[in-house]
Amino acid sequence: MLGKIVVVGASSAGCTLALAAQAAGHDVTLVDEHPQAMKDMSFDAPWFYGAALPSALLNENSIAQAVLEGSPTLMECLESGVDLRVSTVLWGAFRDGPNCVNVGRPKVGLVTREGNEMLEHDTLIIATGVRDFVPSFKGWDLPGVFGGKAGIALLDLYQVYEGRRTVVLGTSDLAMRFIRSARARGVEIVAVLEVGDEVEAGPEAAAWLAGEGIPVHLAHVIQEARGKTAVAGATCISLENGATFAVACDTIAVAIATLPNIELPAAMGCRMRYEPAVASWVPEVDALGTTSLENVFWVEDEGRAEGLLALIGGQDHVADVPSRATLRRNALDYIKAWVAALHQTGQDDVVLCQCETVSRGAFCGMTPPTYLESRLRHEQTPVTQGENLKAPRINQDFLKRMTRVSMGHCQGKRCRDEAAVTLSIRFGVDLQAIRPASYRFPLRPIDLGVIADDDESDEIRLNWQMWPYETRQD
Amino acid sequence: MDNFDVIVVGAGILGLSVAYNAQKGGARVLVLDAGATAYEASSRATGYLSLRGETPAESPLAQEAEKLWDGLSDELGYPTEWTQKGRIWAAFHERELEELKQLYGSFRKTDVPFEFLDGDALRQMIPCLSETCLGGIWTQRSGHANPQRTSQAFAWAFSDLGGEIREHTPVLELLVEGGKAKGVRTAQGELHCGKVALCAAAHNTLLLDPLGIRFPLAPVRLEALVTTPMPPLFDQAFIGNGLSIRQTKRGNLHMNGGPYEWIDLDIGKEAAKPNTQIVRNILRRAIETMPVLKGAQFLRSWAGIVDMAPDQMTTIHAFDNPDGLVTAACSGHGFGMAPAVGIAVAELLLKGETRMPIDQLSLDRFKSISPEWRTRRNWQAGQYNT
Repeated sequence: MLGKIVVVGASSAGCTLALAAQAAGHDVTLVDEHPQAMKDMSFDAPWFYGAALPSALLNENSIAQAVLEGSPTLMECLESGVDLRVSTVLWGAFRDGPNCVNVGRPKVGLVTREGNEMLEHDTLIIATGVRDFVPSFKGWDLPGVFGGKAGIALLDLYQVYEGRRTVVLGTSDLAMRFIRSARARGVEIVAVLEVGDEVEAGPEAAAWLAGEGIPVHLAHVIQEARGKTAVAGATCISLENGATFAVACDTIAVAIATLPNIELPAAMGCRMRYEPAVASWVPEVDALGTTSLENVFWVEDEGRAEGLLALIGGQDHVADVPSRATLRRNALDYIKAWVAALHQTGQDDVVLCQCETVSRGAFCGMTPPTYLESRLRHEQTPVTQGENLKAPRINQDFLKRMTRVSMGHCQGKRCRDEAAVTLSIRFGVDLQAIRPASYRFPLRPIDLGVIADDDESDEIRLNWQMWPYETRQD
Repeated sequence: MDNFDVIVVGAGILGLSVAYNAQKGGARVLVLDAGATAYEASSRATGYLSLRGETPAESPLAQEAEKLWDGLSDELGYPTEWTQKGRIWAAFHERELEELKQLYGSFRKTDVPFEFLDGDALRQMIPCLSETCLGGIWTQRSGHANPQRTSQAFAWAFSDLGGEIREHTPVLELLVEGGKAKGVRTAQGELHCGKVALCAAAHNTLLLDPLGIRFPLAPVRLEALVTTPMPPLFDQAFIGNGLSIRQTKRGNLHMNGGPYEWIDLDIGKEAAKPNTQIVRNILRRAIETMPVLKGAQFLRSWAGIVDMAPDQMTTIHAFDNPDGLVTAACSGHGFGMAPAVGIAVAELLLKGETRMPIDQLSLDRFKSISPEWRTRRNWQAGQYNT
């Protein structure tokens, strides 16, 4: 019984599922946070725009139009009567479960710039896509540094890209998509840096880059983004001999990898497993995408949703759907190679957590934040003791609490994955054995004035715990 | 070969304080926890030291804790963020004000200098306090600290003395032989020792039950949240409008509050701790309390499990049978009490007596309690109330 369906994420899979659900007679709401308010874009979630957002984004009407026109399936959803909520953040999802039996019908919390709403539903389909993975390097907080997805959005979706000369980090499919779009819009790609010995996207891509005359530097990473108030150049370093060269540029696209947006299923308590192919924890699902929570479905980015489509269409049985994960190369190895090279060629004083201004060294040493003006009496390790071999060896929440890395305004969206990889490399612990920092609601920071409830029921008000009266006896 | 003098069950702030003090007292101590360090009540705590004006029987112990708090960061060698800037209980409605005035009578039975102030006097102390605040109880004593940092300070100081913590090692059974504590059985096997300290919150109830001992505690899920950092607003430990609100050293506003959802625990299992949409009500109340918070952003929420005794007081009990077993639990204010509870339990374990004032805090006060007490209080699992 699917009942009222909420689809979150208007990717092509999300739109297709919403349309199918609508056609099958379901009441369906499709939620997407794009186009985001500029303030929300500045938190670099899901896409890493960095510190320079083109002022053209302030024109919200033309941006909204560009987004709709850029997605025919989104227009189709709108025209077919799907309850379409764009520029709407799904900040939380609540349902009855262990130690929580008073929620009632499942609810998602929706918030727009104007206000918030709790939307009841029966089925939740999570098609939240991916976000940028941008590891730290010296100067990565300068305006002009951004992630691959953000770059593609600025180029193609919003059409407000302001760079003229761009350095690209990475040669994956993501980087190639960015480079092709940038070239199509007349942007000069002044250097492409690749940590490995060959172009990640394959020989055809390498040949195309060569044919276009785009300089590709294999076994190179960025040592520093230079500039006083914005990116003015990049210092590149060879991993073979440590030789450096400088290149003038106004933008740096970090198009190394994307990671799935797992904050919703993780915060809801879906059972998760570590998947090296996508370098992330992902919900455990069956062939239909059913998570460990009833009527909660997970759709992989650009994944096939035939099984779920058939279910929505009312079919009882669906043919086995082959998993895509096995077809993809291992994203974890690629990300690890980048992080290891950037840390090896950079310094421990490079800022890892931009929100809280914590360096790589301070993070690994669990140094108290500078505002405490305090230090640890003795050096400590985050690696736990114990004889339970299945237990996590490192708890990332613990490092969050001690160092504040991933505790800031971006809710760890920028740094949490590099932080986990860093721990894995420096302490020799598999990522599977690192308990990831917990995802918490709200999934995006929200103004208190917008999220605060104005419908507190009499029952809630009556039962509200009023300290210090807790000792009154019945 | 494992050879421990003391096994502490529970790596929350109470267990860690006990472990630190026992190790410091010369014992070889092992701490076991079903999950990770400071992951239940110790992670949800607001971080207040309550001087227990509302339960004067506990106040002497709280005041001992207060003395320890002032030097705790130096003693342990790690920051706790202790901020000794006083505490406020504020009223926002006429009925609340009357009730608070009645309660003030109880507060005055303690040795702590409490005062009753009007709204304007409180607003002088906390200028961002709403005009709707009518007055409240104030003391310049007491304060707040960072619960997670303090728990870890105890854990690190304990490790520095040679102590060992094993996380994800659930204790499934207390082992007793010939009327004496003999050790514990974990999922990994038996561990033997001379003495056991049971500091596992409401798991205490479950682990003592097979020994025929009733420790009446009811577990409850509570929610907490933080906002983004704000400029410095106030540094008192504030309670009012159904919330406890403290501004951290970093500037975030940390708050707790809401209806209690009573639950049941499973032996050896980390409890699920979901949040609910009630966080919206917490934020509404926060804005009612301090309108300036409208400018902050809701950043993060989480929940924790707290254990409540029927009289919502601290319990510290050393058993004659089985000998060598000591237990403690603090009904949701263990964070502030922890430095003193740690000394009391460690002394009871190692010396059989303590200098801490715990005379009125033993389990004996529950001798005649009904087995149905949770149902009678409407505190059984699934109930959603206060």
